[in-house]
Amino acid sequence: MKNSDALVLGIETSCDETAVGIVSGRKLLANVISSSVDEHARFGGVVPEIASRAHLEAMPNVIKQALSDARVSINDIDAFAVTAGPGLIGALLVGTSSASGLALAMDKPLYGVNHLSAHIAVDSLNSDHRLDPAIALLVSGGHSSILQVNDLTSDVITLGSTIDDAAGEAFDKIARILELGFPGGPAIDLDAKSGNPKAIDFPRGLTLARDLVEHKYDFSFSGLKTAVSRYLAKTPEYIRADVSASFQEAVVDVLLAKAIGAAKEVGIDTLIIAGGVAANSRLRALAQERADKAGIQLRIPPMNLCTDNGAMVAAIGSLAVAKGLRPSELGFEANSSSGIANPIF
Amino acid sequence: MSTYLLLDTSTSRTSVVVVKNGEVVFNEHHDGALSHGETLPKLVAAALKVSPQIDEVIVGMGPGPFTGLRVGISFAQSFAFARDIKLQGVCSLDAIASQFSDKDFVVAVDARRKEVFYARYIEGVRISEPNVCQPSQLNALQIPIYGEALNHFPDPSSFVDIANSNKTYSAPIYVRRPDAYPAPVGVKFRPLTQLDLVPAFAIEKAAYGKDGWSMAQLKEEYAGGDRMYIAAEFGGELISYAGVFNLAGVADVLTLTVAEGHRRKGIGRELLRRLIDWSRTQKCEAIMLEVRVGNEEAIPLYTSFGFIEISRRKDYYGPGKTAIVMRKELK
Repeated sequence: MKNSDALVLGIETSCDETAVGIVSGRKLLANVISSSVDEHARFGGVVPEIASRAHLEAMPNVIKQALSDARVSINDIDAFAVTAGPGLIGALLVGTSSASGLALAMDKPLYGVNHLSAHIAVDSLNSDHRLDPAIALLVSGGHSSILQVNDLTSDVITLGSTIDDAAGEAFDKIARILELGFPGGPAIDLDAKSGNPKAIDFPRGLTLARDLVEHKYDFSFSGLKTAVSRYLAKTPEYIRADVSASFQEAVVDVLLAKAIGAAKEVGIDTLIIAGGVAANSRLRALAQERADKAGIQLRIPPMNLCTDNGAMVAAIGSLAVAKGLRPSELGFEANSSSGIANPIF
Repeated sequence: MSTYLLLDTSTSRTSVVVVKNGEVVFNEHHDGALSHGETLPKLVAAALKVSPQIDEVIVGMGPGPFTGLRVGISFAQSFAFARDIKLQGVCSLDAIASQFSDKDFVVAVDARRKEVFYARYIEGVRISEPNVCQPSQLNALQIPIYGEALNHFPDPSSFVDIANSNKTYSAPIYVRRPDAYPAPVGVKFRPLTQLDLVPAFAIEKAAYGKDGWSMAQLKEEYAGGDRMYIAAEFGGELISYAGVFNLAGVADVLTLTVAEGHRRKGIGRELLRRLIDWSRTQKCEAIMLEVRVGNEEAIPLYTSFGFIEISRRKDYYGPGKTAIVMRKELK
């Protein structure tokens, strides 16, 4: 084995997806996801205890399926990687404990990795382009951050993040108000296609001059949520598709204004958009338009790799192996609120 | 003879034992309610230095606080899979009980929320599935209580014997459902009305035959004071009803019946929850009920709410039909 072809198995359990991916170097071999989303749909959000129970139940089959898809045996795996945070602590522990069990049983190295870094690292798969430096806009149900990626496995700086709701969370909440179901992202995306994004001028959070002093690259979506609720309350005959489209436009506009602003200011010509919200069709379209205009190279991972998955964890594990990084200490601590400062635990 | 890796994370203690040819060759533990995830891999790594070869894994399936419990089980699952060896699960309470020889005793471990998971052992044999209740309810039994509160922890070195002689488990023993367990889909709960009495009687008859209430009894019970009746309907049809009576500060469940075909969907659970809530609003000190011996659908439901058996009434439901009287403290 060359380090650059290492066979790495990655496990992700930070929220409601039980996911296992296998890569060989930067080549994707398997990406299996079992989701408990249907269980959570009844509550309009993820219930931690239900998620943790589902992870434990699903894990053995997800691992077996991934090995079978990749046509490899557990004996062939050179290294293991697992999301160690941030995420729901009970859910993370199922992943880290499973991964420890595999690594100790096979006497192979284990890398505990940062979930956010993994979302960016998925961009490395099935291609050989240069990975860093880059600016990354990471948007999902749990996170909304702008990151300066100097080195994906060792040097990632958070330039800004949300001060209240994550973008994906805002989609979920508005979808609930509009009775569009859970998860809200795909539902609003679809509904918005028949609506007018300029119909209602919803606020763009933290974009006023006085906000920019302290919160240049931070986001806030709670004011937008309130604005949508108020609008619905005082407009009994509202057109739902227009509300969806205008709300979505407000989110996407501010995400991109700040992300592209960061790329220009820091002087990095590559923007990676990752995380579940990167699957949003309006975000993708507007990002391409604005990146082209700004002369920035835009990279967005394929849709199926944008939401939480195991391939992204295997991907960053594989980059760590290729660079010869030291594996994580035995019994590294799963951490529900770990910052991006340590891509590898 | 085989080499066993034995793990338990069902209490605040993380324990790892290796038994080789019947001898304990490794036995270490670490105490800390929040450190199972960090501790277990280190202990197992140390155990593997003593014995790299493992032929079988046995893990404690609880009951116990879920987050820690799952650390041991998910680790064991993956380890056994990777090594392609056998995995078994045992009840962790049995591995506390194995340390005692009293004729009649209870083992109890922390279940959070001021409750304990427990099981009762008579002549060394566990007499029921593990359950959950308030500690005061076990004290009322006036038999020895062993467990975490007195520094008794599961001893994994007994796992091999337990797996050979007792029931084994292939999944965690949760006892409790997740907090947010959803109300049954499409079922509507509302007060029982006069108009429901005819369909209620039909359900009563189908469920209990001639042991159930007659139409006249049903009407009389319905009309009495200090009581509350609720109904569950599905598709506009009555499918379940329940009632509770406040008898001088102790609530008594009058009836709780779910129509055949709608059972095991959480409807009885929801009705019982509402009866308990009403009893609390009446400031009742406790709630009691009777259940037929051998009603294996209802008894686990009641125990999961913290009802415990306080006595039995012979011939309560007719000759030879004994009732178990159960009680749950509300204060």
